[in-house]
Amino acid sequence: MDPYEIEFIGENRIVSIIPNFSYDKIYLICGEFGPFRAGLPMNVPLWLAVMLKQKQKCRIVAPDWMEVDNLENIKEEEKRSRFFTKMPNEHYMVEAKLILGAASEDIPNASEIKTIIKDIWDIRMSKLRTSMDALMKSGGSYGRLDHLTMMEINSVKPLLPAAMDELLRIQMMSKKTTPATLNSSTFSQSGTSQNT
Amino acid sequence: MDEEQLDLSGEEEEITADVVLKTIQTSWQNERLSPEILPHRNDMVECMLGQIQHMERNINKLPKTDLRTSIHKMELSRIKYIICNYLKTRLEKIEQNCIIIINDEKQRIESGTNYLTPLEYRYAQEHLLNIEHHLKQTILNQVPGNMQVFEINKMSTVPNLQSHVFLKANETVHGIVLEDHFGDQDEEIDLEEGSQHILQYKFIADLVKNGKVQLI
Repeated sequence: MDPYEIEFIGENRIVSIIPNFSYDKIYLICGEFGPFRAGLPMNVPLWLAVMLKQKQKCRIVAPDWMEVDNLENIKEEEKRSRFFTKMPNEHYMVEAKLILGAASEDIPNASEIKTIIKDIWDIRMSKLRTSMDALMKSGGSYGRLDHLTMMEINSVKPLLPAAMDELLRIQMMSKKTTPATLNSSTFSQSGTSQNT
Repeated sequence: MDEEQLDLSGEEEEITADVVLKTIQTSWQNERLSPEILPHRNDMVECMLGQIQHMERNINKLPKTDLRTSIHKMELSRIKYIICNYLKTRLEKIEQNCIIIINDEKQRIESGTNYLTPLEYRYAQEHLLNIEHHLKQTILNQVPGNMQVFEINKMSTVPNLQSHVFLKANETVHGIVLEDHFGDQDEEIDLEEGSQHILQYKFIADLVKNGKVQLI
C-alpha cells in the first residue's frame, strides 16, 4: 500500500479539539460527534480535526503522548531495548505528521517534539533493518514483529516479503535438486536409478 | 440525518452504519494485501452505497454555506474512495488471474460458497472471451492450422499463495502449522491476540477469510 493510504487509515483515529464555534451534534456515518461548544474540548476523527483547523474553526489539543518528557522516555527505552517497544499510538507517525503539519502552533514545544519523534523513528528503523538482516541470514521464512506500526511495516514493503519469497524459491529449487543428486550417487552403486 | 440503524435486507439483526464502514475498510485492507481474491462483501458495499445516497439527498437539502455540508461531503468522499479502490482491486485480480478464478469459482458456485458477485463473475468470463477473441484475431488465425488452438491452460497465471504477508491476529489462534516443504521440519506457532507476524499467506489464508487475522 502507498504511504498516503496508511495515512488515510490513520486519519480515522480520534483526537481532541477545542472548537471556536458552537453547533449541534453532527451525525456522520462513522459515528456521531458533538455537540460543538466554543472553548470546550471534544473528540473528532483526525481528518475532521485537520479540516476544521484548516478552516480556522478549532485548535487541536496535543494528544497525551505528544509531550517532551514522555517522548524522551520512550526514546531512551527504545534505545535500551533489543526489541521494539510498544508505541503510545498505533499511528504515531501519521498523527504527529498531520497534527504538527496543520497545527504546530497549538502544540507546546512543537519543534522539539518533531525532532524526538524523528529520532524514535530512526532508532526503530535501524533496528528493523538489523532484524531484517538477521532474519534473512538465518534463512527464516517466519518472523514476529510485535509493536511495529503500520507505517513502519509498510516502509519495508515490498523489500522484506519479496526477499523472503525469493529465498523460499531458492530453497525449494535447491531442495528439489539435492535429493536427486543424492539419489543418483547412492543408487548408481546398486545400479537402480529410481527417483522418489 | 440521524439515520443510524440500517436494515440489512434478508438479515434479522440490525447493524449500525459505522460497523458496516469498519467491515468494508477491513475487507479493503485485506483485499489489497492478499495475493488471491477473497470472498466478496457485496452485502456491506450495497448497504453503504444506499447509505451514501441517502446522505447525499440530505446534504442537498442543507444550505450550501452550512459547515455540515462540507464535513459530510468530505466523509462521503473518503468512503467512496475506499469502496472504489476495493472494487478496483478485485477487478485487477480478476483480470490478472481470470482463468484460475473462473475455474475455482465454478466449483464454489456449486457448493454455494462463491467468492465473486454475479457481476464480477460475468466480468471475468467476458474478460476471458475478449482475450481469446483478441489472440485469435491477431495471432492464432494467421499461424499454420496445427498451431491455432487456444490453449487455455497454458495461458493461466496463478496467484503466489506462498508469498509472505504481514498480519495481525484479531484473536488468539493456536497451532498454526508452518509446514516445511519436505515435511521434515514442520513448525507450530500460536498467534496471540494483537501479535504481529510475517509468514506465508497459504498458512493463514483461512484465518483471513474468517476474520481471525487481519493483513497489515
